[in-house]
Amino acid sequence: MGSYTNTDEVELLKASLDGDQLAFAEIVNRYRKMVARTVKGMLGDSVFAEDIGQEVFIKLYHSLAEFRGEAKLATYIQRIAVNLTLNEIKRRKRFVSMFSQTGNNELYEFEVADINDEEKREAKELVHKALMKLDPKFRIVVAMRMLQGYSTRETAEMLELPLGTVLSRLSRAQEQLKKILGKL
Amino acid sequence: MKLSEIKKLIISSLDINSAPADLARQLEDEGISFDFSETFTGKVIEKLYASGQVINRELEFVRTMSSAFYRIALTGVAAIVILLISIFMMEGSISLNSFLGLGDTFDESIICLLTGNLY
Repeated sequence: MGSYTNTDEVELLKASLDGDQLAFAEIVNRYRKMVARTVKGMLGDSVFAEDIGQEVFIKLYHSLAEFRGEAKLATYIQRIAVNLTLNEIKRRKRFVSMFSQTGNNELYEFEVADINDEEKREAKELVHKALMKLDPKFRIVVAMRMLQGYSTRETAEMLELPLGTVLSRLSRAQEQLKKILGKL
Repeated sequence: MKLSEIKKLIISSLDINSAPADLARQLEDEGISFDFSETFTGKVIEKLYASGQVINRELEFVRTMSSAFYRIALTGVAAIVILLISIFMMEGSISLNSFLGLGDTFDESIICLLTGNLY
């Protein structure tokens, strides 16, 4: 056991499977930002998103034995993050339709207290507001493209969608975003 | 960067012919970045370790139960063997009759016992 900062993924996975918590902590550190971009991009920058982020890595830990290395580890983690986030959105929608008459926008929270730079705070708030007004199926492709910087092909692979579907969603999301950003 | 420029950047990041990785990096430089709290990794590991302890305790319980069951089953088998040996030593055989305690009883005696006609 020791520092795993320069260790490659295969070794980290083997060590994690052997119960080495430091190795798994290194995997969490390497991919936490990527997961945060997906989860917070979809749910908003809140403590609830943090809980979903934790769930992503807990699920990853419990499914490490099933990971056969056919896809990249990043893709595997991203798929878990997308599935858990979409499940959370569905759960929230069900909750709101049962107990509240409020709109969807109130489901998503945003905390910007930690950003001191006024311009950066405004920019982040703008992106948050625009994303939250998008339909979730468009929001996820936008998050993959705009926040993660994935190509169309990579986005299709992550979301397990046909390339044509991703292209059409991107185009429709762009149309929607133009209208939304015009009003903000 | 002004908000209007950021809006343009957002829109252009969705263009099919754009370079999404570069645009995402530019947006990140403008403050549109996401990360979890500093304690995030620690919390994940803590949760995993806590659940690991529960799993260990459950496994320990199952192991204790199975070893207890094994001992009880062995004791039962030993008791049956001892009973059979003692029957064999007392009755001279381990037939059904000797098992029922009727090994050295004549058929007539049984009829008398069952009918109640002792004389």
